[in-house]
Amino acid sequence: MNRDVEQSQANPLREGLASRAVPQPCSVVIFGATGDLTHRKLIPALYNLAADGELPPAVTVIGFARRQKSDDDFRREMEESTRKFSRQPVRDEIWKTFAQSIFYHQSDFADENGFKTLADRLARVDKERGTRGNRLFYFAVAPDQFEPILENLKTAGLNQAAEGSWARVIVEKPFGTDLASARELNRVVHNSFAENQTYRIDHFLGKETAQNILVLRFANAIFEPLWNTRYIDHVQITAAETLGVEGRAGYYETAGALRDMVQNHLLQLLCLVGMEPPTDLDADSIRDEKVKVVRSLRRMSDVETTVVRGQYATGAINGKPVPAYREEENVDPKSTIDTFVALRLQIDNWRWADVPIYMRVGKRLPKSGTEISVHFKKAPAVLFNKENVTLDQNVLVIRIQPDEGISLRMQAKVPGTSLRIEPVKMDFHYGTSFGKASPEAYERLLLDAMSGDATLFARRDEVEEAWAFIDPIEEAWHAKVGAPGLYFYPAGSWGPNEADELLARDGRAWRRL
Amino acid sequence: MPEVAPSYSLGQPVEVGKIDKELKRLWQQGEGAMTRASLINLAIYSEAPDALEKNTPIIAKIAENHACRAIAISSNGACKENRVEAWINAHCHVSRTGKEQICSEQLSFRLEGPCANLLASIVFSHLDSDLPFYLWWQGDLHDPMDPQLWAWVDRFIYDSSGWKNFGPQMRLVETAQEEARQRIVLCDLNWTRLDKIRVAIAQFFDHPASHHHFAEMENVTIQFAPGFKSTALLLVGWLGAQLHWRINEPARNGSCRFLDSNNRKIDIELHEATGAPIGKIVLRSREIEFVVSPAKCGDLLEVWRCGQNEKPLPQMMPAQSNDSVSLLSQELMRGGPHRVYLHAVSCVRSLL
Repeated sequence: MNRDVEQSQANPLREGLASRAVPQPCSVVIFGATGDLTHRKLIPALYNLAADGELPPAVTVIGFARRQKSDDDFRREMEESTRKFSRQPVRDEIWKTFAQSIFYHQSDFADENGFKTLADRLARVDKERGTRGNRLFYFAVAPDQFEPILENLKTAGLNQAAEGSWARVIVEKPFGTDLASARELNRVVHNSFAENQTYRIDHFLGKETAQNILVLRFANAIFEPLWNTRYIDHVQITAAETLGVEGRAGYYETAGALRDMVQNHLLQLLCLVGMEPPTDLDADSIRDEKVKVVRSLRRMSDVETTVVRGQYATGAINGKPVPAYREEENVDPKSTIDTFVALRLQIDNWRWADVPIYMRVGKRLPKSGTEISVHFKKAPAVLFNKENVTLDQNVLVIRIQPDEGISLRMQAKVPGTSLRIEPVKMDFHYGTSFGKASPEAYERLLLDAMSGDATLFARRDEVEEAWAFIDPIEEAWHAKVGAPGLYFYPAGSWGPNEADELLARDGRAWRRL
Repeated sequence: MPEVAPSYSLGQPVEVGKIDKELKRLWQQGEGAMTRASLINLAIYSEAPDALEKNTPIIAKIAENHACRAIAISSNGACKENRVEAWINAHCHVSRTGKEQICSEQLSFRLEGPCANLLASIVFSHLDSDLPFYLWWQGDLHDPMDPQLWAWVDRFIYDSSGWKNFGPQMRLVETAQEEARQRIVLCDLNWTRLDKIRVAIAQFFDHPASHHHFAEMENVTIQFAPGFKSTALLLVGWLGAQLHWRINEPARNGSCRFLDSNNRKIDIELHEATGAPIGKIVLRSREIEFVVSPAKCGDLLEVWRCGQNEKPLPQMMPAQSNDSVSLLSQELMRGGPHRVYLHAVSCVRSLL
């Protein structure tokens, strides 16, 4: 989408000033305003946007939660957490005016009256602050709270905007726990908000490097001709964490790595790597192509041989002993939840036929890092690549986090009179080339939602297709008879041996991070 | 890296013919985790006597956010004798991750005598291949400009606020751009000075409900600091070009009058006052005032609108700092051509 042209038609003074959609004045209502996400991510992100001049001055934030507190109490709490978690230092002058745009609304999520008074308050804000009837509702709450909030928003008439204004809802993950619950959740959301009003957030998509995947693929002419089964041997996607459950045991015990990471973040990354070029950069053009990738994923019929689930046992991270998952606080000592998953996937379409995609995600691995590596086929077995001298493959690595960047491994002659060939790496680091720190994922995503750009948000069909792919794996794991085993791995290792065997069977090995 | 001189010195003197060799040696002697980084060639040309000493700290600061090969050139064609001196240096800073040092190279040249005309040959011999070439020309341009140079320049950076005579200087720039078949992007730091102010003004009109104010604009008042009248006029040119105004009455005592497409009059008042290059700006439409004003703290703008039955809600927005490092950094962050700038210049060319 040529936003510059679009915006200059709307506001001629914007021509040449913005290469992205400009957010409109609006009220941002955060449900779960006293929660961790609001403190750590949402308010600091909004502050940073205000400090960078990206937020229209009229934008107003209303925290909605059960606890009793005044606007000033809430502002004080938000200031404290913003000072702690903000990407840039908090400046008193900016905070002072930003704080004036923050309000607190106390109500129970199930209290219909609390939403009626919210509607009155929003109407007042529209008048006093010029938010023009635009509302963005952010659900920073557990999914079981969605229904009462959505119903009450509808009853209070807040799901619909006046003509020329808009009402949108941002929904945090987990978006369901399986296909049935995701469909139910979608039904509940759609009772109040249409699909084009619904923004399902996946913060991985807000990361600079995730967005750069499309640029790398479609703004460079050299990669796309090679980006297919003819030249690519296989693809690996790894999301490794050194951390354990860190106080999230309650949630993790019901989710596990497959639901927590693969169903959303990793499949989203796979879509960006695997999709066909969209016809344009409109949100739906991109999402149309992404959903085709998930739809083309071969459904898992033999989970035993294509998926490995693991759980960390006692071990050590960075020389420090750490307990087993089953010994963590609030974890069932007999828990069979997966803290590690490795999968062998197949995309059944023309481009990716016979190219295996290996994914692994795990907690308590030796190193934290998320990356995609594209392993190209070897050079023909002639000249430098004769049978007795096997050269490494070319590997293109897209590092999502940390140390965002791209590297390409190739072969080079070692200087000297003899012919010795060794792999060398061309490495691009965002941090080295671009001194400026990227905005946080939440900053980008909040701005996009305010601007009505849904490109980086998951659409209903993407979410449901992803669950349709994940469900058979979960079902196989929980089958009463013949369920595949749960493999234990010592904390600080790269997962169970069975994960290595998954690739070894194909004559391949995991890339060392 | 023991051989690297402190960042703000010109570094190690070298023979012009041995620069590449000496640069290689400089990197070989480096110690610790160190990465040479470069995304652009940034040449800075000046005829001021102490230009190299003044530009070196600027380059060091710029390199922290914009990895580059910097080529600083000081030229004095008035000397009779030919003299060329050269230095090499590296500006290093610790990366955001704190793991390694990121270094940018600086090559400095002092050209005296007739060889001062050999700017193109000096620059071309030392460009980092394949990277874009940005030339920052400090001070006035001379006629004729070297056509060789324009064949390779990607972005031509200058600050029109310092020009003694805007018209002839702008014509030289435009000729250079024509010679390069419009390939060169013109980057006027005087225009960059207005970036944040333009954002602050533009945001008032983002909502479609505000658009009717364009057709109701009656008066614009702009304060400017001594030496920055051209900056204020560029701002007027921007409003004029984007809102399809044309000059009706030429400037008189700091005032002029424009007509909009419906032949409605818009009065422009420019007032000189000490302070920020551009001070308080007030746009008055029939029923509302839009105000952008430098905040007391200096690096923020206070913006508010004030209408009948409307409570003003002042907000803070970032202001553009007027120092060279900030202006150049801001310019380097941008991509693409400055078409709006050229429209703004055209709109007020007769006033500049």
